[in-house]
Amino acid sequence: MTTDKFTKEFEAFRGQLKSYILRMTASVQDTEDIVQDTFIKAHSNLASFKGESTPKTWVFAIASNLARDFLKSKKRWTENTTDICKEAALQNQQFFQEAMHIRQTSPQGQFEIREHISFCFTCVSKSLPLEQQLTLLLKEVYEFKVRDIATIIDNTEAMVKYYLHTARTKMTDIFEHRCSLINKKGICHQCTELNGIFNPKQNAQEELVKIQMVKDAESKNKEELLDLRMKIVKALDPFESPAAELQLHHLEHNRKVMERYLEEK
Amino acid sequence: MKVSSLILLLMTSAVSMAQNATTVKKTFSRETTVSIDIKADASIVWALLTNASDFPRWNSTIISLEGEIKKGEKIRLKSTLDEKRIFKLKVKEMDTEKRMVWGDGKGMRVYTITENGNGIAFNMTEKIGGLMFPMYAKYIPPFDASFNQFATDLKKEAEIISNTK
Repeated sequence: MTTDKFTKEFEAFRGQLKSYILRMTASVQDTEDIVQDTFIKAHSNLASFKGESTPKTWVFAIASNLARDFLKSKKRWTENTTDICKEAALQNQQFFQEAMHIRQTSPQGQFEIREHISFCFTCVSKSLPLEQQLTLLLKEVYEFKVRDIATIIDNTEAMVKYYLHTARTKMTDIFEHRCSLINKKGICHQCTELNGIFNPKQNAQEELVKIQMVKDAESKNKEELLDLRMKIVKALDPFESPAAELQLHHLEHNRKVMERYLEEK
Repeated sequence: MKVSSLILLLMTSAVSMAQNATTVKKTFSRETTVSIDIKADASIVWALLTNASDFPRWNSTIISLEGEIKKGEKIRLKSTLDEKRIFKLKVKEMDTEKRMVWGDGKGMRVYTITENGNGIAFNMTEKIGGLMFPMYAKYIPPFDASFNQFATDLKKEAEIISNTK
């Protein structure tokens, strides 16, 4: 493959690669670094690319390895991440001042509930073991086939299926117990609470019924609701959406809070 | 009963018998074994058997399993066999995707996985015993039902995973 052709191909999926790494690291800066290192590594090893997979699969394998190396020494987040981060945010006036400033001045400062659902998915999926998280993302958000994921994570198809199944089961279970959008007894209402802060004149109920997952909460089973949730995640680019700056600010806050929390634990 | 129905009944019994746990009782020991064929890759079965915290999710005989299932490590098992007790076991042997042994001073549980061309054959054996065994034997509940359930749960979960698209 020529350098020009590779660069063109890379640019075509760069956005997806970037959001994939962001969903693993929860850090914009580290995402930029890993994506750049991936390009450099792939570019300099272009001669070793034999076309046994697509360039996209090959590049995602390189990026996944770099992300794994980066995350190796970091502890996984906890299932109640959103509770911990909410508590920290409530004690941090600066966080809300910054967020409100973004909300009022940035063209990417809107608050949308579906954006927050996607953000929440990123935070909660960081509580899965790393191999499970990346397998789930690769399959359900970036639509790689099991065979390609096996290439990307350098494991067998059987193990990819195992990671995928356990990841899905755990995520289903966590949301079933926590998310008030799909379960009236759910303990987390953050998306509607934040909507009340950032969109005080908006009727949250009217917004919620526009979301298929919420509309179907009582008629679909919990696995189908997870699929609908992942459909929301799939449809959003966390760097390009109208809510990007506000959500990335929030993600940066959560990452710092969780790193401090896990260090002290 | 028609002859064909009788043959069918016998065949069905033979299939379920293959999954039925058996116990051999002796004066100083008791050994329970269960076997089952599973249409799944050995790596899937191995992954299910070696991820401690994941056990209660798919295995209805396990209430909790704490610790890391690695050779030399100690694990703490709470089972439906006796919900009030926590069994402190040591992982004594690990031969990846083939054999694993857990045990304590009173007994030993051996798991084996054998490729059979259409998946794997799973076998689980627990032998408890010793010189003092006759004194406490009556306090140990029978394992057969629990072993059957363990094997059935393992087969179900491994085959669901194996059929993931």
